[in-house]
Amino acid sequence: MHQSDPDLPPFARSWRQLYFLVIGSLLLEIVLFYGFMQYFS
Amino acid sequence: MSGIDWLILAGTLALIISYGVIRSRGNRSMDDYLLADQSLPWYHVCLSVMATQASAVTFLSAPGQAFTDGMRFVQFYFGLPLAMVVLAITFVPIFHRLKVFTAYEYLESRFDARVRVFTALLFLLQRSLSTGLSIYAPSIILSTILGWNIFWTNIIMGGIVLVYTVSGGAKAISYTHLQQMLIVTVAMFIAGWMTVHLLPADVGFVDALQVAGKSGRLNTIDLTFDPDSRYNVWSGLIGGFFLQLSYFGTDQSQVGRYLTGQSVGQSRLGLLANGMLKVPMQFLILLIGVLVFVFYQFNPSPVFFNKVETDQLLKSPYADQYRRLETEHEAIAARRQKAVLTLNKALSTDDTKSVEQTRAVISQTDQEAKAVKNQVVDLIKKNNPVGDTSDVNYVFLRFVLDFLPHGLIGLLIAVIFSASMGSIAAAYNSLASTTIVDIYKRLFCNSYSDGHYLKASRIATVIWGLFCIVVAQFASKLGSMIEAVNILGSLFYGVILGIFLVAFYFKSIGGKATFWAAVLTEGIVIWCWWTELTAFLWLNVIGCVLLIGIAWLLEKVMPSRRLQPVDAVDV
Repeated sequence: MHQSDPDLPPFARSWRQLYFLVIGSLLLEIVLFYGFMQYFS
Repeated sequence: MSGIDWLILAGTLALIISYGVIRSRGNRSMDDYLLADQSLPWYHVCLSVMATQASAVTFLSAPGQAFTDGMRFVQFYFGLPLAMVVLAITFVPIFHRLKVFTAYEYLESRFDARVRVFTALLFLLQRSLSTGLSIYAPSIILSTILGWNIFWTNIIMGGIVLVYTVSGGAKAISYTHLQQMLIVTVAMFIAGWMTVHLLPADVGFVDALQVAGKSGRLNTIDLTFDPDSRYNVWSGLIGGFFLQLSYFGTDQSQVGRYLTGQSVGQSRLGLLANGMLKVPMQFLILLIGVLVFVFYQFNPSPVFFNKVETDQLLKSPYADQYRRLETEHEAIAARRQKAVLTLNKALSTDDTKSVEQTRAVISQTDQEAKAVKNQVVDLIKKNNPVGDTSDVNYVFLRFVLDFLPHGLIGLLIAVIFSASMGSIAAAYNSLASTTIVDIYKRLFCNSYSDGHYLKASRIATVIWGLFCIVVAQFASKLGSMIEAVNILGSLFYGVILGIFLVAFYFKSIGGKATFWAAVLTEGIVIWCWWTELTAFLWLNVIGCVLLIGIAWLLEKVMPSRRLQPVDAVDV
């Protein structure tokens, strides 16, 4: 991963952590949408 | 529309335009005009990227889509966060480090001038024509429903954007994007709240979701791997990833937005924030469509939402047949309404048996209603072979005009204008920057002052704006708008994405092989489309894969002279 950028993200310790956060939030959304669909159907 | 609606619409548009012009006064250089002096923070980048992608049709079509087909369309966006991560890792640092104005500039440093100019020309052709369609699509819906003159609606829709795009450039676009997104968000929340408010007194938000769920409209996730199914998790993750990567990575209307970030970090953060916000935003827009669906379960709904088409039917020899179908539809709706009320009661008393029984009745009436609607569509086709047989784009606007209070109607029409202006402004700016940087400055006049190029950029913006409005005036000859835009994109996107993928990931392939592969592949793609060899969506895949394959082969046959390799991907 490209880590030489001195401009570090404000909400995480590294860019790599932020990338995982974005991917993690997508997975969480998929799980929540699935639960939402199941609950109301 | 009443006086208060006109006042709110005019006031909102005046506010957006004047704010954009005032905040961006004093553009002194091309850097300032085309890239906002690379001075914008991440939240500007994020909202600008979102506003560019979300056109007027997004806010008109998505609720209608949820109304007819449920929420499964949300899966289409699952590939977007992944594409944002790839862009943040690869595209953003390279574009920033090379200090490029356009994405195509990078291609010259990686390959040669021919590849750069060829790709820029493909982009100009595709983007200018599709921007014309982007002006026409909301204009035709507004003019159909509100009875406005389409010629003037096109001119106003495409013309008011020119005011602040020409004077303020990228900074004005970004500042107005901020305001447009704020207005869109507030208005859509109010519309959602009002929809729940209009439901019967004993039906709350959760009850509405129960009814929607039991009617199969909360179908957010489909885990089955079925290539024939248009929207499921896998097509969203895989197909959506490639689509979003090509759009955000190679389309200058998007590249120009994140290049305005004040650093690599700020551009990255903007894109990653977009990756986190886009899916929930799309979910909420679709949820409004679902709430409109629930509203029509308790209230009479039209059999077909495009009133212009049904009014024409009433004046045609098919009027009696149409009236009979309308009566049939009313009877079905009354049965369904009764079933929904029983379902609501059964849900509150946890009467499982009654829930299942009424659910079956709702499903049955749904199928019957669809069959009646199909017969109406057949009549529309017979009466007017070029008539609009899809009413998806009209569902939400018809609901707004028929049931929401005055004032809010004006605000929601302003939302349509705002969303449209957001994407059109970015397109004008990208057309001007590509024309000046990649064609005019590169090929014809490379030694003039910065002031000269600034003036040329403004002139290019005006010319492209006028061209797009002219395209919009002829767009009615093209049939289905969405399809026309997608076909146009599919003719060029695959080849452009292929060129960038070769640039980033196939370091051994040089400019000569890439250029001839691009020319050859574009010819093959156009031939495939002309002979109707395959469905148009596959043209993207054919273009991208063929280009990489042919470039690789040509490189073996006629190796390029090796130049100093520029910027391999550092991942």
